Amino acid sequence: MSPLANIPQLLSSGITLGAIYALVGLGFVIISRASQIVNFAQGEFVMLGGVVTFSLLHRGLPYPLAALISIAFVITVGFILQVLVIHPLRKASVLVLIMATLGASFFLSSTSGLVFGTLPKALPSFSGERSFHVFGILVSPQTIWVLGATLLLLMVLYFLSHRTLLGKAMEASSTDPLGADLSGISRNFMTFLSFGVSAGTGAIAGIFIAPLFYTSYSVGTLLGLKGFVAAVLGGWGKNSGAILGGFVLGIVESVSVAFIPSGYKDAIAFVVLLLILYLRPKGILGSPYIDSRRW
Amino acid sequence: MKNKRQFRKRDILYLLPMWLLSLILPDPLPHLKKEFRKRDLFYLVALLLLPLLRPDSHFNYIMILAGIYAILAVGLSLFLGYAGQISLGHGAFFGIGAYTTAILTTRCTFPTLAAFGASAVAAAIMAYLVGKPILKLKGYFLALATLGFGEIFLVVVKEWDGLTNGVIGIFDIPWFSMAGFTFDTYLKQYYLVWGVLTGLVLFSKNLVRSKMGRAFLAVASSEDAAASIGINVATLKLEVFVLSAVFAGFAGSLFSCIMSIANPEAFGLNLSTLIVMMVVLGGMGNLYGPVAGAIFLTWLTDMLGKYQEYSLPVYGVILILLLLFFPDGVGTRLGTRFVYLISYWPKKKRRDEVRS
Repeated sequence: MSPLANIPQLLSSGITLGAIYALVGLGFVIISRASQIVNFAQGEFVMLGGVVTFSLLHRGLPYPLAALISIAFVITVGFILQVLVIHPLRKASVLVLIMATLGASFFLSSTSGLVFGTLPKALPSFSGERSFHVFGILVSPQTIWVLGATLLLLMVLYFLSHRTLLGKAMEASSTDPLGADLSGISRNFMTFLSFGVSAGTGAIAGIFIAPLFYTSYSVGTLLGLKGFVAAVLGGWGKNSGAILGGFVLGIVESVSVAFIPSGYKDAIAFVVLLLILYLRPKGILGSPYIDSRRW
Repeated sequence: MKNKRQFRKRDILYLLPMWLLSLILPDPLPHLKKEFRKRDLFYLVALLLLPLLRPDSHFNYIMILAGIYAILAVGLSLFLGYAGQISLGHGAFFGIGAYTTAILTTRCTFPTLAAFGASAVAAAIMAYLVGKPILKLKGYFLALATLGFGEIFLVVVKEWDGLTNGVIGIFDIPWFSMAGFTFDTYLKQYYLVWGVLTGLVLFSKNLVRSKMGRAFLAVASSEDAAASIGINVATLKLEVFVLSAVFAGFAGSLFSCIMSIANPEAFGLNLSTLIVMMVVLGGMGNLYGPVAGAIFLTWLTDMLGKYQEYSLPVYGVILILLLLFFPDGVGTRLGTRFVYLISYWPKKKRRDEVRS
């Protein structure tokens, strides 16, 4: 069979993968919009979401309850991370922040390996395992769930950041810190909240992908990095950029399997990253930060 | 007013510990001091005597590993501490050095010394090709791009079975030998690694005092200002990136000769972050700091290795705590406190004189 015949099928799995990258990328964007920090531990929130749900489900809790508890747990972890690590270092240099969040990521993944075990885990699908055919393409029902969740989260986040006072305050504390201080917005509190929202987004992404791809304690780092790549690819600092970048990255990565050996798949994201950073550093949609700020 | 010196017995008490500390601590203000001090001699003698004082093969092994990491950290310190750029991909240059030596000595039967040179050249060429496009980035984006390069390197090494033997790696790399002399015991390797390190530190010490070294500092504080006084910022950044890759190439070559194995597990993101931690903890902008950081972190990882599965979380916590309490490096902060104490003493004397 020629490699091109597989492309529609690869495209559909690419879209699923893209939705995941988009959700992870959104987590990065939420934090950076409120505080201009890049949280390298973002991928661990995704990992924790899946792993904690699995372990609760194993204890006999019903699925929705396990998912909700796990999301609440991950949000708490996000808050703790902000209070213990990010807040004391808010005046430190970029390098120290990168190292601290990488250290936190290291700690979270190894602790989760210790507590929940190192074996790969798969959650059951939300609604049955039977795949169905659409125009000759095999589609798993979980894919529909993932796409729906992405769309819903995107809408919620859009309302949060553009239609509520809280979201506008978050935005303000990033675009003009002094102005935000003068109008009585607590920047520390906004950073604190953004970590919670971002951790929640990550956890939801983690729960939705766990039935499709195996989850284990070590998947977080690479997933987080690819989410960051997606956010940069679409346009750093924009929700829509993260979504578009995520889908483009997922599709490119998935379709590339038709042309090159599948072992090289993990490198594709970073090749795309180097290309976009070289040719158009502000991303596909353009970024509000790149031109005006020293990054 | 009489210029009467009031010397109290109590001051002798301060003097002795401060003198001892001054031998050990890194220089907080290197640009104000003379080129060669007693402290350098103290380090050198301590270095030569250390394995003889503790003839313990595990200790020697740790010190060899620390020496190799210190070469990497000193190289990165030029890029990170002096020129103020961020790289999370130095593990890749280390890996390129290691694999070049491994392939040249096992497949092409090169002498190790030639392979040692070739490793540095290979790392330099790669750094030039990678650095040219990505060094115009700053901050988080530079960190992400270098990290991406490291990941690409790792994937290529794992997949290119024909050249690198995939995830299994290359075995039976010969010992380092030079003019018929083979470095086959830990003691000989210790002197080899720390000898190379001493040479590279001397080179870097001279470099940072040269015109180019001053230009690094200028670029680190403000690129626009540096460009306005006639420094070619892009070329300078590329030069220091290539230079630090050469250091990493040397380190990688020594690593593969001493461990006699090169496999992709050793060159991942963990190594890159470990090296950056060494530089950060040692203190930015001095050359002894990274060496001290390398010794400390190598010792720490080895010591935590005893606790097996608990070692990794504890290690993460220790790293975060160190960053929280010493965000600008352990040496730098202690050094600043030390300078404050010294300067406090003569000032106090002068104040007393004025008062009397």
